[in-house]
Amino acid sequence: MEDINMAAGASNAHDDDDDDHDNYIREQERLLPIANVGRIMKQILPPNTKISKEAKETMQDCVSEFISFVTCEASEKCRKERRKTVNGDDVCWALETLGFDEYAGPMKRYLHRYREHDQADHRANQEKG
Amino acid sequence: MYSRILAGGRTGPHSLPLARIKKIMKKSGDNVNMISGEAPIVFSKACELLIEELTRRSWMVAMQRKRRTLHKEDVVSAVIATDIFDFLVNLVSEDSTTPIDLTPVEREKLEF
Repeated sequence: MEDINMAAGASNAHDDDDDDHDNYIREQERLLPIANVGRIMKQILPPNTKISKEAKETMQDCVSEFISFVTCEASEKCRKERRKTVNGDDVCWALETLGFDEYAGPMKRYLHRYREHDQADHRANQEKG
Repeated sequence: MYSRILAGGRTGPHSLPLARIKKIMKKSGDNVNMISGEAPIVFSKACELLIEELTRRSWMVAMQRKRRTLHKEDVVSAVIATDIFDFLVNLVSEDSTTPIDLTPVEREKLEF
């Protein structure tokens, strides 16, 4: 006789493993790699200091939340201005608006240099052709 | 290419993967449509700055607690103590079994 009302604990073991795997992949995709995050943390700390795995994982969570938080603000601005594409300036604006004005300055310079070189490469490529 | 010119960091042009950043951006909300190529690049730098600042502040907490290992609770305390990290408070507290409002003496007892 089949038990239609399966208890919460009862499960099809094969499906659960598949679910776990899928969840793992999804989880990894919403985070920046722990190795990269850990490396940046390490560069700031004095030598001979250690970072617990949990601390790195917490940092991963914080960074993803930061990206979402700032992106929402930037995309809301685009929506209000009826623009479809979130660009670098929108991100800089959102950083300033949300209180990260100390980041906004270096970001604008970084973006400026990126654009200059991007244009230079473009011109160089055109000349070659 | 620009990536070589902008390289100044020790880990290559961008220390964080742009494709992954873009994925996270796309999942931020329903009204996120298109993302220009430069937006993830701006974020790669901004995220670096965030990690650096939060790590620095967490380290100051760990030092106060006389440890040379950075623990999650140090990051949590740094988040709570910093106004611009208000948006992170719920995130770091939600699944935390780390008691935050301990006295310094009680905190010391947790460390081994």
